[in-house]
Amino acid sequence: MLILSRKLDESIMIGDDVVIKVVAVHEGSVKLGIEAPKTVRILRTELYEETEKSNVQAAAVPKSTAVEAARRLGKSAPAPGVSTAVQPKEKGRS
Amino acid sequence: MKWINRQFGEFEYDPSHVLNFPAGMIGFEDLHRYILINDEDSKPFLWLVSLEDGEIAFPLIIPSLIAEQYEIAGIPETDTTILTVVALRDNIEESTVNLRSPVLIDNKTQMGKQIVLENDRYPFQHPLFVVAETAEKG
Repeated sequence: MLILSRKLDESIMIGDDVVIKVVAVHEGSVKLGIEAPKTVRILRTELYEETEKSNVQAAAVPKSTAVEAARRLGKSAPAPGVSTAVQPKEKGRS
Repeated sequence: MKWINRQFGEFEYDPSHVLNFPAGMIGFEDLHRYILINDEDSKPFLWLVSLEDGEIAFPLIIPSLIAEQYEIAGIPETDTTILTVVALRDNIEESTVNLRSPVLIDNKTQMGKQIVLENDRYPFQHPLFVVAETAEKG
């Protein structure tokens, strides 16, 4: 890991379009200002990790579990407001 | 166009329905193209199916079905579809919905992204069932 020392109001650059600036230092806590393109995702690490964990788990579940959960949920109303949803034409099923 | 997914087998989709996630889903940054499948058998779940990795499909649910008055500040509601990722468990009662990290789809541009809400009003693991029952009572 690269380690750099920075003082208040000093900054570092990552690539040529991400700037991280030390905005305030107070009682063991550092406030950072970040400039980056909109497409760059900026998150506190723990929030990223929590979401990643939940996504990985979600993606691993077989459809049969979802069918069972849907049955128990008992809410068969069509999903409202989702205009982009498509119905797959599955082969081998009618 | 045809695609094969582990969950859905081979299916056809209209290229005009492809959703672009420039930053990917969190933890899946390399996957950018998805299709949203409204699967009859598992309603009300929807599936965000990767068109780049046949193993990947995220079950999603509209958060208002799980948490009444689910709101995200600063999102133009009419143009944005808000969905949340469902983490189903083998023991189905333990399944949870990640209300903290919603998936936002811009209906006009068909661009999608997953965000993490700064506010901790909504949890990462919101029970799928307990709260659904509470909502019905209310």
